[in-house]
Amino acid sequence: MTSDRRIDSAALHQIAATVGAGQSWSAYQTAARTLDQIPPDAVPDHLRARVAVLASFTLDPLLSVLRVEAARQGLWLDTYLSPYGQYVTELLDPASGLYRFRPHVTFLAIDGDVLWHQRWAEMPPVRSEPVVSGLLTPLFAGLDAFDRLGSGIMVVNDFVLPRPSAEGVNAFRAKDTFAHTMGQANKHLRLRLALRGNAFLFPLSDVVAQVGRSRAFNWRTHYRGHVTWSDVLMPAVAERYVGFALAALGKSTKCVVLDLDNTLWGGVLGEDGAAGIALGPQSPGSEFVDFQRELLDFQQQGILLALCSKNNQHEVLALLRTHPSMLIREAHLAAYRINWEDKATNIRALARELNIGLEHMLLIDDSPHERAWVRDQIPELRVPDLPPDPSLYASWVGSLTSLIVLRQTAEDLQRTRQYQESRTREAYQVSVGSVEDFLRGLGLRVSIDLVTDGSLARVVQLLAKTNQFTLTTRRHDEPTIRRRLESGAWRVYTMRVIDRFGDFGLTGVAIVEPGPEAWHVESFLMSCRVIGKSVETALLARIATDARASGATTLSAEFVDSGRNQAASAFLSQHGFVAGSGGRWLRPLGTPGPEWPAWVGTTTAESSESDLVDSAKASL
Amino acid sequence: MDRAQIEPRVRELLVQALGVPSTSIDPDFSASSTPAWTSLNHLMLISQVEGEFGVFFSNQQIRDLTSFKGIVEAVATHLHGSA
Repeated sequence: MTSDRRIDSAALHQIAATVGAGQSWSAYQTAARTLDQIPPDAVPDHLRARVAVLASFTLDPLLSVLRVEAARQGLWLDTYLSPYGQYVTELLDPASGLYRFRPHVTFLAIDGDVLWHQRWAEMPPVRSEPVVSGLLTPLFAGLDAFDRLGSGIMVVNDFVLPRPSAEGVNAFRAKDTFAHTMGQANKHLRLRLALRGNAFLFPLSDVVAQVGRSRAFNWRTHYRGHVTWSDVLMPAVAERYVGFALAALGKSTKCVVLDLDNTLWGGVLGEDGAAGIALGPQSPGSEFVDFQRELLDFQQQGILLALCSKNNQHEVLALLRTHPSMLIREAHLAAYRINWEDKATNIRALARELNIGLEHMLLIDDSPHERAWVRDQIPELRVPDLPPDPSLYASWVGSLTSLIVLRQTAEDLQRTRQYQESRTREAYQVSVGSVEDFLRGLGLRVSIDLVTDGSLARVVQLLAKTNQFTLTTRRHDEPTIRRRLESGAWRVYTMRVIDRFGDFGLTGVAIVEPGPEAWHVESFLMSCRVIGKSVETALLARIATDARASGATTLSAEFVDSGRNQAASAFLSQHGFVAGSGGRWLRPLGTPGPEWPAWVGTTTAESSESDLVDSAKASL
Repeated sequence: MDRAQIEPRVRELLVQALGVPSTSIDPDFSASSTPAWTSLNHLMLISQVEGEFGVFFSNQQIRDLTSFKGIVEAVATHLHGSA
């Protein structure tokens, strides 16, 4: 299947590895040229992201840095840079290069100096309010246009003044100082971006603080050619930009697998005992408490935590339940493997239990030996190097590029509980005989609805993340779906699945293009959590019923082989579709079926206590 | 630092910034005969040279530093002038 010209993420990573931390821009240029030598068609689609940068200053030198940092994470970037200083025009013009490029992520890089110049455009400098609205009004007009015309997510940085203030020690007393103006600008930027589901605030001030302001900006290149960001700032920004690109492509980490001894606490539980490990309010021990706190912040955004440790399970569980300073408790864990098997085997078992691809898991382990072993056994797993000193753990974990959660849907926030329910469900599966008995006993119920304002974010997320049970693996973004819904080109179905052990949430999506003769299934996908329950048949049956009611005579569909969606390959033939011309599968609606599975009941959105389906149901 | 020490380091920076083969950089190598030597690459190249040798050129100098030989000489003068 793979020819020797085929590039994989490991090859991209290897090219990026030639540039180490703290190296100059020249080193990035050299590595970017190596990337240039790869023929674009040698890179598989699922590793490619289109990233656009709109800037108020010269950012051409960032592109090579960005492409190399993306390669470090196994991504190939196609990049687009707006013409110098034309970021508002690019956003407003429907025919702009930005919109032709169809980016997955657009970064809007605005120099804090823009605000400063706006302020000094008049003498004497004017009050804060007109300065702020003078900048933000055109910017948000541009973002409104982006909502209608654009694709993917938009990431806008906060304003950072690149130099110390000369306003003096009394500036804090006065209004309408520049410091005040900048504070107001950032406040309004944040408030107005927060109202947009597809927009994010990029914490440039945070990145500048991380590298140090005096090193972040290069005044020589700034005055010579408006290249304001220094060699030091560009890689730090690029690393975080790549995090957004990974997330927009659905490649972020979904589950963090944690070692225990010397990772979540100091010392070795089996030797030192629960009373002897370092974990408590004073150091040594408080480092680990702080680290656990950071991990729980990720858990609360919907990233799963799992344990994988060579230990005695009963000792660990007792510690989780009783140690007064342990913050991570059993309720925070989606799964655990605490035994004496090798870690690679255990991590594979965790992936199976949680139904998560190994490429969506990340291992945190203090042992370089274990890390090396697991990397060797599972190349697709993320295994970053934990700093050797526990006092650096908490500050390190926040910088991990792949731990970005763009959407927090109700499903994300309940996910740990859902996996705990699934443990009970599997125990039940072992205790019954046939598959059909199992399905009947599950008490399956589904609620199939048309998409609403409240469920659209989850639909976009499922489209972005689903790789296994999906007919076409098309990643549509929110503006695209809204446009097609408004024009009537699409009907978007959602399916919520519940059984007697718990609520899977919104786990099925179908996009249908209704025509007078034929209804075409453009996308059809299920979360891997509900595969094997035949609820997909229920969704297709509902589509067939609606199509017949509208007078259509045929259903058509496609199967696009992505190399990863084998789970869906037989779906069409199993449901009466016959391969037609041009890759289309056809199913006449004159013949009855597909049959609604006898063991699947229905439920309504209201009675399932939906927090996703709001009162504006079917308002789209 | 004499010219023999400066030359290979400038050559390497030219290779990295412009993406030209090392062998193409003879003493006559200059912006006018090198399409990759754009104004933006020039800006970044000079900034890299400044960082590498710890020197700082004036705007007037920068406009004239458009050949391999010119850059090497300017660095040498700068280092000796400040010694």
